[in-house]
Amino acid sequence: MFAARKSDMTPAQRAHTRRILWLLLAYAIILPPLVWIRANTAVAGYIPALMAIVASIPVLGIFASWGRYLSDERDEYHQTLALRRIAVATNATMGAAVVWGFLQAFGAMPLVEAYWIPCVWVVMQGMFACIAGFSRRDEQ
Amino acid sequence: MENRLRLLRAERNWSQQDLAERLDVSRQSVNAIETGKYDPSLPLAFRIAELFDLAIEEVFESPSRRSSKAI
Repeated sequence: MFAARKSDMTPAQRAHTRRILWLLLAYAIILPPLVWIRANTAVAGYIPALMAIVASIPVLGIFASWGRYLSDERDEYHQTLALRRIAVATNATMGAAVVWGFLQAFGAMPLVEAYWIPCVWVVMQGMFACIAGFSRRDEQ
Repeated sequence: MENRLRLLRAERNWSQQDLAERLDVSRQSVNAIETGKYDPSLPLAFRIAELFDLAIEEVFESPSRRSSKAI
């Protein structure tokens, strides 16, 4: 009974990972043609705004997927870990954005596009997940 | 929070995975509770106690009683 060991991922984690991979694939497919069109054609009017919104949709999907994951996760321990990771990544990213903003305002750092902030957040998430994973290695 | 989960599990010859499946949680949750790294919610603590047919305080040691014992 119970001999077969299942994957260490919860069903909600598996669904979240699947969603993220599809969204990253969509991002990788959508972005290059949009960048090319913007650089090589004279788009005007509402088209650049529309292109910008289309480019941001997969990233918005990543944030929506996190929300869905937190709502779907039935394992309270994993839910707590995810919430902790989100809180740490959010604080670290917001802190870095504030410091960078002041450095920029005082002319000490160059202008950075605002869309890098969520990118940093996603990287922080991954980084803290790795740190947490390493610190729990002895539990395996 | 101290608990007797590892001992109770060992008495029944259950692996962490066995217990996790009986409680409908992940194996990592069982491990985190056993090692005191995570305190379960009250509903989960009741599920654990009911699974072993014990009262909740027979599985989990009250932190306030523990500290008063130490004094």
